[in-house]
Amino acid sequence: MTTNPLRDPRDRRLPRVPEPCALVVFGITGDLARKKLLPAVYDLANRGLLPTNFALLGFARRDWGDVEFAELARAAAREHARTPWREEVWERLANSVRFVQGSFDDDTAFDELAGNLAELEGSHGIGGNAAFYLSIPPAMFPVVLKQMQRTGMADSTPDRWRRVVVEKPFGTDLPSSRELNELVDSVFSADDVFRIDHYLGKETVQNLLALRFANTLFEPIWNGHHVDSVQITMAEDVGIGGRAGFYDQTGAARDVLQNHLLQLLALTAMEEPVEFSAEEIRTEKLKVLRAVSAPSDMATFAVRGQYEQGWLAGQRARGYRQEDGVDPDSTTETYAAVRLGVETRRWAGVPFYVRTGKRLPRRVTEIALSFRRAPHLPFAPTDTEELGHNQLVIRVQPDEGVTLKFGSKVPGSVMEVRDVAMDFLYGEQFTEASPEAYERLLLDVLLGDATLFPRNAEVEASWAVIDPLEQFWADTEPHPYRAGEWGPRAAEEMLAAEGRQWRRP
Amino acid sequence: MTTLWDTTGSAVVKELAAQRRTGGAVMSGVALTLVVVADEGRVAEAEEAATAAAEVHPCRLLVVIRRQIDAPMPRLDAEVLIGGRLGPGEAVVMRMYGRLGLHAESVVLPLLAADAPVVTWWHERPPARIATDALGVIANRRVTDCSMAEDPLEALRVRAEDYAPGDTDLTWTRSTPWRATLASTLDSVAGRRGGAVRVLGGQVEGDPANATAQLIAGWLSARCGCRISVVPSTRTPASSGVDGVVLQLDEDEELRLQDDRKGSAVITQPYRPDAVVALPDQSLGELIGEELRRLDSDEPYSEALETATGVAGLSEHPAGREHVWFDPMRPADAGTPAPTVPADSEGTDEVAEAGEDDDAADDPAASPDEQAVPR
Repeated sequence: MTTNPLRDPRDRRLPRVPEPCALVVFGITGDLARKKLLPAVYDLANRGLLPTNFALLGFARRDWGDVEFAELARAAAREHARTPWREEVWERLANSVRFVQGSFDDDTAFDELAGNLAELEGSHGIGGNAAFYLSIPPAMFPVVLKQMQRTGMADSTPDRWRRVVVEKPFGTDLPSSRELNELVDSVFSADDVFRIDHYLGKETVQNLLALRFANTLFEPIWNGHHVDSVQITMAEDVGIGGRAGFYDQTGAARDVLQNHLLQLLALTAMEEPVEFSAEEIRTEKLKVLRAVSAPSDMATFAVRGQYEQGWLAGQRARGYRQEDGVDPDSTTETYAAVRLGVETRRWAGVPFYVRTGKRLPRRVTEIALSFRRAPHLPFAPTDTEELGHNQLVIRVQPDEGVTLKFGSKVPGSVMEVRDVAMDFLYGEQFTEASPEAYERLLLDVLLGDATLFPRNAEVEASWAVIDPLEQFWADTEPHPYRAGEWGPRAAEEMLAAEGRQWRRP
Repeated sequence: MTTLWDTTGSAVVKELAAQRRTGGAVMSGVALTLVVVADEGRVAEAEEAATAAAEVHPCRLLVVIRRQIDAPMPRLDAEVLIGGRLGPGEAVVMRMYGRLGLHAESVVLPLLAADAPVVTWWHERPPARIATDALGVIANRRVTDCSMAEDPLEALRVRAEDYAPGDTDLTWTRSTPWRATLASTLDSVAGRRGGAVRVLGGQVEGDPANATAQLIAGWLSARCGCRISVVPSTRTPASSGVDGVVLQLDEDEELRLQDDRKGSAVITQPYRPDAVVALPDQSLGELIGEELRRLDSDEPYSEALETATGVAGLSEHPAGREHVWFDPMRPADAGTPAPTVPADSEGTDEVAEAGEDDDAADDPAASPDEQAVPR
């Protein structure tokens, strides 16, 4: 029996709204909080998706009062919100906004935070439920988590839930991620830990599951018998911006490959989950990640690069080593391309080429499945010279949608077959009206729906893929490439070695 | 944009195809066709709303304006736009004069996007019987708006009697913010108790003559199994027709939701401080956008409608309708077969006269005795 007579599974106009709760953000003055979290909270409120009793607590070192904090939050939300600004929505939200000032090793500040939370339980009726968002560098995690343990803030009881949201990077290699996972899991129970990979909040990524498992058209050919190779690309046209300190320590493989690209690979290659639930989807993803194999010939099939100065979009771009805050002899990679394998019956022998880079010609993320050529073509060889592989491309961003590329006759009196593309494009507005990734993920955290969050075992399996690559790369110099070109030559050669070439996204 | 004066349906189809070719890939991925039936006086309003909805749900937009049914000569004026004033997609605005208005489907049918669902929305007084409007018969989903009738409650009763699965009404769509708030408030009571909540009674305070208020009361009654009715509120309610809702729960608790006139509702409940939640006024475009999100039949609506109007047995109404001929100039003849085109009528459409088959000359089998000669 349902507990609420007004809830009807057939009534799909009514949105999912979380229970009364508080959201506590550590590092509320940071970039992420200002550009993504605060606007997402406002947008959720504006769409009527926040619970009736809700409170937002910010924790940071800055010496602020509630009023100053509310003003900063207002400015941030207003600047970056996606839904129209309505002052009354914000005012209502501002009533339940609190700021706690203190450093992370300050016991009194955490006592104050715990006290604030307990007080809000009564005054704002949040029922003891709270989600803690750690928008702070991972080095701070141990201190903050210990403090939460000390004050008992982290304990879920049957009466209330306490959840924690962790941002990437989840460690820097397998041992450190294990350590981090153990630490987080020692304070929160595993079900209460939400690791954000914002790519998984994107509409197209979720559509990939619909495309694969709701249709009959694609499943029969979604395997090594028909798929020749898979290319997963995440290209950025920007450089490292102001993140020099972080980036120089991390590099493209740890920053992007380990999380976003491997998650996209897992969703592309996984088997059908038994049901569309968090547990089942994560189980299937984990199976794939454990089956991922690194190339045996790393010198050819694991390429990393670093951009040099060049021209991008009509403007001169500095080289990586010339960027502010970067060591002039840095060997950190800004580009990584790897040929991975998935050792399952479905995918054995199919190369998965994954690449990511900064200062590439355009910002684009896509998954491209390239199909095998027909075993026999009844046309004369000259007729099909320009016929390539059939392709199915899932464009994650921008221009969210799906492209199918296949051969078609060139109009005219001779038989000539050439590739054409058929596009499905989500309307521009569709993507604007659909919730932003952070908004969706934040809502899922408050609802306790873990479908779109990787589990710690997935994170560890991903590191197990990356670690051998990092070890191989440790004493090598990255291949240089000019800003504004599609990566170093070695990456082209890597595919050419197997008679293939990169798709130009 | 091209405007075709005194034109034919085939010319509109050709013009749409021509514009699609020259306009380039303006938008691909049409999910449905939205047919808007509007009064001349409300065209601008309907166009604005349909455009807003089309931006969220890629669709082909067909606006039909019937004018001067009694005009002696039937006439069609059409405006064909791709990627213009009416959003990124393909749109055709058609003004139909004279008896053509009674045969609007003859123009609309060839313009529907292939094998995609059709949604027809009347932005005018809803038809008494949807079956008499062929534009409703061809639709998978039909959207009416009882608030446009002089007597919305009577219009709502007519909708209940005429109901078929796939019908919906914007007075119901307008109830969503209130219903969502009520449902999540009961959620929080259930969460606090850690167990079931029962609603024993209550009332909707607002305008008893408002269809949305009646539907909310009908929905609450149907869901909770107790009689909840609309009582006049002390203040004049906002456009939703509801000023507040009071629910009596088991364990002797009472819930109260009150419109605070600032786009929010104040929730008063036991053991919790008052809370305020957004209760936004939705624009017409947002309402249509919500309707286009789901195209299957809406059972909660039919149950709310049944309870609100007292018309029983809605769930047994068959899906789909047969077109019934109705001539507004001869209302007494309702139900007689549609008139056929008189033999002596002057055709104006070359295609209607000669057909648009594949060129017979291309097919040798069609003329075995003649040499196939291109015309």
